[in-house]
Amino acid sequence: MTLGLRTQGAEPSPSTYAPAPGHRFKVGDRVAVKRSFPPGHRRTPYYIRGKTGVIERICGAFPNPEELAYGFDGEPKKVLYRVRFAQPTVWPTYSGPARDLIEMEIFEHWLEPA
Amino acid sequence: MNDHPHDYYAKGKHGHDHDHEDHAPIEERDEGPPSEYEIMSRAMQELLEEKGAVTAEQVRRRMELFEEELPYRGSRVVAHAWADPQFKKRLLEDGKAACTEFGIDLEADRLIAVENTPEVHNVIVCTLCSCYPRALLGMPPTWYKSTNYRSRVVFEPRAVLKEFGTVLPDQVTVRVHDSNADMRYVVIPMRPKGTESWSEERLAAILTRDTLVGVTVPRVDAAT
Amino acid sequence: MSGTASNRSAADIGGDDAGPVDTLDRGMKFWERQANALRSVVQRNQIVLVDELRRAAEDLGDLYAKLEYFERTTLALRALLIEKGLVTEEELAARMAEIRARFDVPDEMESPIKKGKSR
Repeated sequence: MTLGLRTQGAEPSPSTYAPAPGHRFKVGDRVAVKRSFPPGHRRTPYYIRGKTGVIERICGAFPNPEELAYGFDGEPKKVLYRVRFAQPTVWPTYSGPARDLIEMEIFEHWLEPA
Repeated sequence: MNDHPHDYYAKGKHGHDHDHEDHAPIEERDEGPPSEYEIMSRAMQELLEEKGAVTAEQVRRRMELFEEELPYRGSRVVAHAWADPQFKKRLLEDGKAACTEFGIDLEADRLIAVENTPEVHNVIVCTLCSCYPRALLGMPPTWYKSTNYRSRVVFEPRAVLKEFGTVLPDQVTVRVHDSNADMRYVVIPMRPKGTESWSEERLAAILTRDTLVGVTVPRVDAAT
Repeated sequence: MSGTASNRSAADIGGDDAGPVDTLDRGMKFWERQANALRSVVQRNQIVLVDELRRAAEDLGDLYAKLEYFERTTLALRALLIEKGLVTEEELAARMAEIRARFDVPDEMESPIKKGKSR
């Protein structure tokens, strides 16, 4: 059986963050998550699709997990952002204070300017 | 609520017999007949060993790492951040680099540390699976991997925190982090009053895994 | 935009109503610790990627909610190893039968695998 070394997946790194050349959004930009429901492996949770938030930080460019999941190399890398959302905008019946937040990582191809 | 004595952290280190041959099946096992899934897992491991894809030694070493080393790292790092404000600043800026500086190899994990303040309380989840900074904290607790936690903490965090005995006043903002892609998270809790003279070892003892995920806060009366 | 809401994966459960959280850590049985270590080693040895393991778990569909965590991860690994041709269904079934005999388990227990489903 040939195993070989795979080259897919994010490389090891001394830093949490990776370079994000040509990133489309900057910290503070208002963005909307695409209201799209494609089949297959996605790392954009259903509950956040179509919601509007703000770029909280740029994490870097990483191989696309939607492709890695099926044995492809995930290239070209996609820029990953942390996006901050106000809880009442995500859950219409949110019962906590309106200031409460939810944050997660969203890939650039899932985001549009808002 | 305190972490149950069954908690990962409470497991004492125990000795190992290192005389296993590389291709001998691991003989230790749970009581009672194995489930179909245990049988399946053992079968896969044996086949992969025979095909040269993994070795028994690698699996055993990984089990030991998860048991004896990984669960203790997070509390040491955060205790050090409490004790050393400049280290805390570096930990917040780049979690992975700071851990490397501290002598901890996070392997593939990219760590973001988030800090609790009097105004903001952080809590971590992975709704899609169970992403967790394993190289810093070891295995996640069963509740973290449970579907009830994963589905509810994002839309009713305060109710879920209450189930852990953590009640937050309305003037504290709750900030939920869904760990859904390449980043991993650890919470830096607020350091309790009365710990100013404590050693890092003593501080680490109250930084249980639950506090580092954000479902509880450190308690001075839980200190050893 | 495109797609349908029915493409929501079995694992994509954020926001679903659910019962109280069992806040006690129930720990891991020995076989679960071993399965966890195996999962870690196959990734480190680059046999499978974590993304593939997640996808295989999501593909469990209706079974996902009915299984415990390590049952899911074990089935996911099984599906991937077969998919990649690293093991065959036949040799896995044969080895499982041998292990049952080794542990003196009298009957093959009910499982979706027994019914010949491959994923």
